Amino acid sequence: MAGTGSRGRAERRSAGALESEVLAALWATERPLTPAEIQAGIDGALAYNTVHTILKRLYDKGLVLRDADGRRGAYRPAKNAAELTAEAMHEALDRGPDPIAALQQFVTGLRPEEERALRELLAGGGA
Amino acid sequence: MRFDVYSPLVLSLLLSAAGPVIARRVAPALAARVLTSAAVLTAVATAWSLVLLAAALLGDVPPVIREAREDGHPVADPVPGVIGFAACLALVVIALRVRRAVRAEFRTRRALRRLCAGHPADTELIVAASATPRAFAIPGRPGRILVTSAMLSALRPAERRVLLAHERAHLAHRHGPLVTAATLAAAADPLLGPVRTAVGFLVERWADEQAAAAVGDRRTTARALARAALTAGGAGPCALHFTDRAVTRRVAALQTSPPPRLWPVALAVLLLGTLAALLAADATSDLVRQLSGVLS
Repeated sequence: MAGTGSRGRAERRSAGALESEVLAALWATERPLTPAEIQAGIDGALAYNTVHTILKRLYDKGLVLRDADGRRGAYRPAKNAAELTAEAMHEALDRGPDPIAALQQFVTGLRPEEERALRELLAGGGA
Repeated sequence: MRFDVYSPLVLSLLLSAAGPVIARRVAPALAARVLTSAAVLTAVATAWSLVLLAAALLGDVPPVIREAREDGHPVADPVPGVIGFAACLALVVIALRVRRAVRAEFRTRRALRRLCAGHPADTELIVAASATPRAFAIPGRPGRILVTSAMLSALRPAERRVLLAHERAHLAHRHGPLVTAATLAAAADPLLGPVRTAVGFLVERWADEQAAAAVGDRRTTARALARAALTAGGAGPCALHFTDRAVTRRVAALQTSPPPRLWPVALAVLLLGTLAALLAADATSDLVRQLSGVLS
């Protein structure tokens, strides 16, 4: 297929971007993660030390909690601000006309036949 | 004056017809920029033409006509009175539409500011602990990316990276202001509605291409889109507002090579906008000449 590049490290990621990725990885799962698990759960080779540095920065900002659920060295995301944001988001969504619908969303609604086509795309090619 | 003054209306229609076609064929970054620029120029020219048509009513004002007759100037009425009144009406409608669009813009910004409350200022990603799968960029200084926990847990690691890169591209390339400009242009000139839709689609395509370049993999980018759309689709029919097969078209576009820049097409679009502005300017000088001819 034309233009399908190899799975590569196309761009160096900035510290801020890496921070977002670690935080996203922690939020993607219910259970606390160790730095090694986070390292495995992030796309692309990232040095263990880098993961550790990022976690420390997130911890200093109060965005993650350490030694979560009695698991030493494991991290999980702090929920307070995220819950407040969710509340504010739902408030904005429930109050019509939806001010957030006016934004560019990552994805929009699907028709049934589109849904089928996308499922086939994901089913094909494994991974 | 007789023809120039109506030309921006015709050019608006042309631009609206061309917009969706260009959105499919031309590199999204270039297409979004030229379509927005042309739309803004055309909207301003259209509104100005309506002002001119309304101003031409002045030529019908009794004192002007009386004075002109006394001076022996024949009054050549360039605009029938009915059209002048229609133009006045249209201007009122436009003013109301623009006001509504501006208010909606401010309402959105206020709502977005509230979403950032409680998060450290130097953090890019804001997570909302919500079961509704959503993701969007929050423009500002600094710009933020809001993603709900439901969306994050639905995606695989490489796909999360696509999502973040996509939203980051919206912020880095200032898609917020671009879409706002196109929205206001369409509010002022309803004929430009399809152009606004095309620009909305193009900034998503633009961000998709940026994300594909950032992760170095178009296939993963397409899969991220598909999975996010399927996840969000399951959240209920009215959870997301519907656009015309946008996700399917974006996924399809990622399965081929990036579209070419096609500068000639881009220049032609810009020319349409410029032409609208020039013709409106020409109509202005005509009207000024006509009125001053009468009044002098």
